[in-house]
Amino acid sequence: MDSSARSATHDQPTPSFRPSRRQLLAAALAMPVALGTAACGGGGSGSGSDKKVELSIFWWGAQARADLTDKALALYTQKHPNVTFKKTWQANQGYYDKLATLTAGGNAPDIFQIDDNAISEYAERGVTLDLTPYSTNGKLDVSKFSKGLKEYGEVDGKLVGVALGENTQGLVYDKTLLDKFKLPAPTTGMSWADFITWAANVTRTSKIPGTQDPSAIYQALWVWLRQNGKDLYNGKQIAFDESDMTKWFQLWKDAGAKGATPTPEVIHEGNDSSVSKQLVVTGKADTSWVWTNQMPELKKNTKSDLGLMAYPGDPSAQWARASLYLSVFRGSPRKDAAVDVVNFLANDPDAGAILGTDRGLPPNLDVRKQVEATVTDPNMKQTIEVQNELATKFGPTSPSVPPKGHTKVKSELIRIAEGVTYGRQTPDAGAKDFVTAAKAAIGQS
Amino acid sequence: MTMAQMPVRPTEPVPPVPAAHRRGRVARRRRREDLAGYLFLSPWLLGLLGITAIPMLLSLYLSFTDYSPLIPVTESNWVGLENYRRMFTADPSYWHAVRVTVIFAVIAVPLKLAAALGVAMLLNKTMRGIALFRGLFYLPSLLGGSVALAIVWRGMFSGDGAFNAFLSFFGLTGKAWINDPTWALPTLMLLAIWQFGAPMVIFLAGLKQVPTELYEASSVDGAGAWRKFFHITLPLLSPVIFFNLVLETIHGFQGFTSAFVISNGTGGPVDSTLMYTLHLYKAGFVDLNMGYASAMAWVFLLVVGLITVVLFSTGRFWVHYSDSEVR
Repeated sequence: MDSSARSATHDQPTPSFRPSRRQLLAAALAMPVALGTAACGGGGSGSGSDKKVELSIFWWGAQARADLTDKALALYTQKHPNVTFKKTWQANQGYYDKLATLTAGGNAPDIFQIDDNAISEYAERGVTLDLTPYSTNGKLDVSKFSKGLKEYGEVDGKLVGVALGENTQGLVYDKTLLDKFKLPAPTTGMSWADFITWAANVTRTSKIPGTQDPSAIYQALWVWLRQNGKDLYNGKQIAFDESDMTKWFQLWKDAGAKGATPTPEVIHEGNDSSVSKQLVVTGKADTSWVWTNQMPELKKNTKSDLGLMAYPGDPSAQWARASLYLSVFRGSPRKDAAVDVVNFLANDPDAGAILGTDRGLPPNLDVRKQVEATVTDPNMKQTIEVQNELATKFGPTSPSVPPKGHTKVKSELIRIAEGVTYGRQTPDAGAKDFVTAAKAAIGQS
Repeated sequence: MTMAQMPVRPTEPVPPVPAAHRRGRVARRRRREDLAGYLFLSPWLLGLLGITAIPMLLSLYLSFTDYSPLIPVTESNWVGLENYRRMFTADPSYWHAVRVTVIFAVIAVPLKLAAALGVAMLLNKTMRGIALFRGLFYLPSLLGGSVALAIVWRGMFSGDGAFNAFLSFFGLTGKAWINDPTWALPTLMLLAIWQFGAPMVIFLAGLKQVPTELYEASSVDGAGAWRKFFHITLPLLSPVIFFNLVLETIHGFQGFTSAFVISNGTGGPVDSTLMYTLHLYKAGFVDLNMGYASAMAWVFLLVVGLITVVLFSTGRFWVHYSDSEVR
């Protein structure tokens, strides 16, 4: 995981002496002590301008993100030689388990990546540093962010996360497959009914299901609710009712009956959160429901050409979402230095050029323009084009950050929606269950 | 190990020295040996206290609070029996998890024991290369609770996995077993049953203890294989069966790794593999309700303890110790 740690072990000289029994015993006794010290170490100096500072930073992602982030952080160290980084990263799955465990042990990283699944939880528990004073005194600049993106980092009126990327819902389809069977591509703005008819037609012609069933995918439900004048949340309340959910589950049950979606087992496979399991890249369905910034990563997992569009229905229901944030640990003894790094990653043009659109479009609009002009990766280009086009269609209001318990709401939706697709529950019963479960998850009475 | 099993000091021939002097030296040596004993035990003792006993007591306290890993323990609030109330009355998934776990244990444990006994009896024969076979059959258990094995299992029983390829030889079409709410749990059971090596080795040792004269005598009396099995093997093996039953029951209730890996940590599809421990893990580490998770852990401990006590109390009726006639 930590490449520096890995290389360090390789460089160890091999001992050539034969230790005596007593030495071995001493070593055995000393081992736990040494490990203990290592675990407790890492305390550093304060945040003075020339004092040596080591900042710990933790994110999830793939190798490509690690390479880019390494480069950007190296640039920071080059500009501020006294600041070095202890970098840790890992795959998406298990990231929050690790972060929670680190926090529980009082060893939360100085800077950590977080997204809207968890930011309310961490902010309300007081784990994240309130960045509002820094943005007021100019040490942290969010003035070049779009208004919606800045506000999407606020919980209870406090700025707790700095968006490091912007994305929006994206429907990805396998263009190669459609071309092979001379099928038309879906288009932004087509109605849900038209989309389902289109997907059923794809299934009939290509023998590959037209679309993943999105009934368990919360962001699809969210867009659909907003198109119907509802929302997923209103503050710390849910903003939909049983009849909405019944309609939603029924919509996809009918779509399944028309042959637009795969079998329940395949749907379940596609409900995995990892990019490589998405049905559009495993070839088990023609379309998948993802976020626009996942395009390049999806492309790495398939030979097909991929197309990208908005979710069906009126695209004005979509919004500029912070794909993820960087937050600073409130208990960090090196807060000021950490905030400066976050500010650098979000606003510095050179850092922006390095990071590209891996985490989403650069949050700073000036940096974004510059990146758009220089980006060469065709998939990133496509992401930028589609997202900019969509941005012109976004409605005036964007939702606020989901409340604490959102992760649980997501997993309850998967459980119940799959129950409906497997035929274990009727849409009615599923809707009732989900409303109850969602209320319980966010603590709404 | 209990104190009773501590090694007994052999009575050595003592050189003829004045009695008082001798006693002093012996006592000193004993003290030194005791000290050495505790020193050798110390890693284990420290581990028991630091890694098991203290955290356990702490979790008992936490089970009465709303502790979340994101806040210091000192900032958590005392909520009394609220966690326990919620568990029993307001968490439908809890009872679902209990059901899944009981079904798993009730089916997988007896089948695993039967498989272990059956293979042990086969391996009790004398033939060339028997040691190799014993080793091979024990192998899956060495990989035991390992994550790697569960990943292999996931690959084998997925839609395009090896098992379906095997079925297609016979013209059968399989399904994505681990993605089907009906079949996911049986797939986990199969994995558990397949890892029968540990009880098998114990059964094998038990079978070796059965005196061959008894079989010979019964052959003379005209007993068939079944009769021998039910009237000689089973009764004489009953202490070993009992031991394995207790251990495997506890083990069965604790199943976590395979369910976690195969369902990707979700307990899905549709909660069909939501084992008790997995629900507990999700409550603590995903939903961050560590107080609630602690309460679940304590109820679990008590229930598994209770089941063990019940097993022990039934043992009186069917476990025969060979020395029982003497008593």
